[in-house]
Amino acid sequence: MSQVRAPITIANSGAVWRPGTPTDSKAYGRALLALAEADPRIVCLGADLTGPTETDLFRDRIPDRFFNIGIAEANLMCVASGMARSGDIPFVNTFGVFATRRSFDQVTLQIAYPRANVKLVGFMPGLTSPGGPTHQATDDIALMRALPGMVVVEPACATHVAPLLAQLVAHDGPAYMRIKRGDLPKLFTAESLPPLGKAQIVRPGRDGWIIASGVMVTLALEALDALAEQGIQAGLVNVTSPKPLDTDLVRSLAAEGKPLLVAENHSIVGGLGSAVAEVIAEAGIATRFARLGVDDVFAEGAGAPYLFQTYGLSPAAITRRFAALARPG
Amino acid sequence: MNRPHRLGLEGAALADKALRLRRHVVRMVAPIAEGYVGQGLGAADILAALYFNEMAFDPDDPGWEGRDRFILSPAHYGVGLFAALAERGALPVQELAQYGVDGSPLEIIASERLPGVEATCGSLGMGLSVGVGMALTLRRRASASRVYVLIGDGEMQEGETWEAVMSASAFKLSNICAIVDVNDMQVDGSTKSVMDMGNIAAKWRAFGWNTITLDGHDLDALLAAFAAARAHVEGPTVLLADTIPGRGVTALEGRKAHFAKLPPDVAAQALVELEG
Repeated sequence: MSQVRAPITIANSGAVWRPGTPTDSKAYGRALLALAEADPRIVCLGADLTGPTETDLFRDRIPDRFFNIGIAEANLMCVASGMARSGDIPFVNTFGVFATRRSFDQVTLQIAYPRANVKLVGFMPGLTSPGGPTHQATDDIALMRALPGMVVVEPACATHVAPLLAQLVAHDGPAYMRIKRGDLPKLFTAESLPPLGKAQIVRPGRDGWIIASGVMVTLALEALDALAEQGIQAGLVNVTSPKPLDTDLVRSLAAEGKPLLVAENHSIVGGLGSAVAEVIAEAGIATRFARLGVDDVFAEGAGAPYLFQTYGLSPAAITRRFAALARPG
Repeated sequence: MNRPHRLGLEGAALADKALRLRRHVVRMVAPIAEGYVGQGLGAADILAALYFNEMAFDPDDPGWEGRDRFILSPAHYGVGLFAALAERGALPVQELAQYGVDGSPLEIIASERLPGVEATCGSLGMGLSVGVGMALTLRRRASASRVYVLIGDGEMQEGETWEAVMSASAFKLSNICAIVDVNDMQVDGSTKSVMDMGNIAAKWRAFGWNTITLDGHDLDALLAAFAAARAHVEGPTVLLADTIPGRGVTALEGRKAHFAKLPPDVAAQALVELEG
């Protein structure tokens, strides 16, 4: 305990991508409000995290459809179910850990089982939270993916948020969206978001593919440049929906016989990497494959740049892993 | 209360319905020879009062938007709910023979696979919360529909129950009515012996609920309490209904068994007794 460490503060939990990346803030809060103003079925629920989930915008504009349930996530999920059963489309906003782990039985039985039209929104995915294991949702995709009928999505980019929300509203059934809190990078056009269940080819590859989701797409873009300097031309796929997964695309990429690296801000157990591995294995395709993510460990409370570095989620780590796959031995 | 699809039965006619529910319960559990017969018999009067007097419910359209909602939070009592739905005409009485049969939607733990079951509970503590969500939306839409939630007394040990109690009160939901089946029974024995919750009426009152304590087998008292709940517009009402498990069958009455034996001779004797 004698080691001196810099204090953990929100300030040092900042962006994990290259300085200068254009960003947008409160993309979710604004998109939800716009949708709700056009659709009276949309109601907004939270559990004492109004500001952190950007739903202060909704609360201030449409207070009669905003419900703060207090610090009571079990009740939160079941109240949302009751509203959905009465014809509303509840958006339930909290941190990812609380939307999944904390209230898993309620989400399972009152939202997934009846296919209730509830949209769960979990902020601070993976290591983007400075709060340690209590606040770092490193298993949320695994948990939600296990639920029959549950759609699981994560936008990589601020511009994709509004069209993604529109897709979720158009989909009659439960969905879980994990999304980074605060600024999101602006990477792609709104039109580039594929339909639910389809993935986006960001950059074609000659020497294999990086399959990434969420903030890892931005970091993988940096890795592509570093790999190019080594003469390796990797392609990049942005998976917005780990479930339903674009299995056709995964199979066709794997069939190329080139390296496949899945990069995710989540445990390597049960997340996107697992989902991709399942598809490849069941298709009987033998190829070079690796999962890059939180390597079956708990992290700790610290700033995001530090955590992404320490737990091997940095652009440099992606570069190293892909280069090793591309040049075996 | 001249709402459509509300039967409003009282007196001997209502008592006869309660008796019929008890006969259904015994007939449904008898082929399995054990099950939630104690709960089904114990809650029969509450269910009769709801389905044959208090609630607006269209058996030809169990999902009718104008219905009152009934949520069975301890879904183990499904045997009683199915009996009420059948007796009310929402499913053929002969379908009750399918209770617990493989492939049947009349599952032992009631599931919403059966029309008329509003939510799949049974993982305890959730029903009242779902009811709060329904009540919030119904109120926002100025609906006349009310929400009734039956919960078990053991279920009050679940923390979520109190989250729901707190929120219904904070939102001043006068369109929700909870009924606690106070039968002092849970899996490991008497509720007081497993986890004594002390003065439960004081707890509900402290959370801001209009709290009515009554005999859960007194049909007149139940009807009066439901009327009082409707008249109480400041917030939610709870009926703390004292009941006796197995009520109406001498061999089962007061036996505190979560999953009681019902051997053929006891079932046969029970049916004779319940001929009324």
